[in-house]
Amino acid sequence: MISFIVFFFFAAVAVIFGLVVILHRNAVVGALSLVASLFALAVMYVLLDAPFVAALQIIIYAGAIMVLFLFVIMLLNLQHQREAPTRPIQQFLGYLGSAAFAIALVYYVAKYSVMQLPPGPFVADARTIGIRLFESYIFPFEMVSILLLAAIVGALLLSARGATSR
Amino acid sequence: MAAIDRVDVALSLLKIVIVLGGMLSVTPVMAWVERRGSALIQDRLGPNRVGPFGLFQALADAAKFLLKEDVIPLEAHKWLYSLAPMFGLIPALTTISVVPWGRPFVLRNGRLFEPIVADVNVGILLIFALASMSVYGIVTAGWASGNKYSLFGGIRSSAQMISYELALALSAISVLMVAGSLRLTDVVWKQTGYFVLFDTIKLPAWNVFSPAMWLSFVVFSVAAFAETNRLPFDFAEAEAELVAGYHTEYSSMKFALFFMSEYMAMATMSALVTTLFLGGWDIPWYNEPATFRGFILSAIAFVIKVGFLMLVFVWVRWTIPRLKYDILMRIGWKVFLPLAVVNIVLVAWFIAERWI
Repeated sequence: MISFIVFFFFAAVAVIFGLVVILHRNAVVGALSLVASLFALAVMYVLLDAPFVAALQIIIYAGAIMVLFLFVIMLLNLQHQREAPTRPIQQFLGYLGSAAFAIALVYYVAKYSVMQLPPGPFVADARTIGIRLFESYIFPFEMVSILLLAAIVGALLLSARGATSR
Repeated sequence: MAAIDRVDVALSLLKIVIVLGGMLSVTPVMAWVERRGSALIQDRLGPNRVGPFGLFQALADAAKFLLKEDVIPLEAHKWLYSLAPMFGLIPALTTISVVPWGRPFVLRNGRLFEPIVADVNVGILLIFALASMSVYGIVTAGWASGNKYSLFGGIRSSAQMISYELALALSAISVLMVAGSLRLTDVVWKQTGYFVLFDTIKLPAWNVFSPAMWLSFVVFSVAAFAETNRLPFDFAEAEAELVAGYHTEYSSMKFALFFMSEYMAMATMSALVTTLFLGGWDIPWYNEPATFRGFILSAIAFVIKVGFLMLVFVWVRWTIPRLKYDILMRIGWKVFLPLAVVNIVLVAWFIAERWI
């Protein structure tokens, strides 16, 4: 009963703040609304018995990545731009594409909503995740590390090039 | 899961009241300690008019905050300007909920009373999560003031905070490796034993005395200073440089909220250092029994340790000058982060060799 109320409240929070991200004209308000939406998602993870993932969601996504977004937005100080007038055919195709995507999403979620979990008790604590990460999923883990390293090296190169080209 | 009945709810509410009351009373006490302590260090008197030794100065401050005019600058963003102090206050008030502040003891009807508001499996991760939220209060306040200098203060401070969050989390990992769990209660229980040196000296098994974890104590303490924006890392305020940094444009109650959230964050960090490294509620050389008396003594020990650390916070603030910003960022990434990583490797080696 309580989890029902909590779920619907935070689902409403997530959806409403998601709408604010898209519809509000100020980028900083949008970024902060995204943070609120991510918080609501973290609550969903807790309701699904995964507090570890919820904490990681807040630490990594809401706490580090969104701060980076906010830095960029605040330092660039964008004024809300004049939107170029869109032609009716562009608007129609846009709505048609997003409606098709939404319908396909709902359909497939409803069709495959019953998933088979592996047998055994459901444990989602740090120890299990750590063991799985370093035993079963070690290869994707290392590939993601290399991907992040590539991103860091790319960022360093791009900023260095800007500094040395006088 | 056992059914939760009314007594459990009542006990939880009691715990919340105690912890919240403690956190809210940190501000007036620390304001007095800061002002008299800084006066002592600077060889002057400090507030001594309002009550004996200026003890009621906090009341005078509260009256000022309530009666002062609340000015909202023209260029400020209407909503975010008012919401920013609340963003700062929420992490400060909520992180203390996973810190154990006393010894669990058995009540008269056989129930176990655990003096921790929320004993979650991933306790320390919640603290890191909420600490990373405290960046938003500062950066939003800096931007929403509509003042370039506030924006500078906010951005500089948030860059510093996210850099030192890494050193904070990595240095805490070595403690968690030794304790074998993410729960803070387990971390404290592991520190209730003794290290026996040379078969005669019995040291309490606090992590700060452990051969591998004293380094992470140092790194964590420095990162705690950086996280709470206290000197020598106080670029958010930078009193001589940016007028008052990110809270320049705030007056009366909103400024009071920033003021409160800074002291509460300081208290939470002190509580965290105590729990991770100084043995939490453990009284040295005394085996606390699981009775009400043991609980009260352990709670008093916890408060004494946290109070001592907050004194150190004040002491360092008025002793050490502020670092230059690029030096601060450089040592955050190039000194403390490698130190924390090396410490993890060292502790992992010690655990593998079964020395710990």
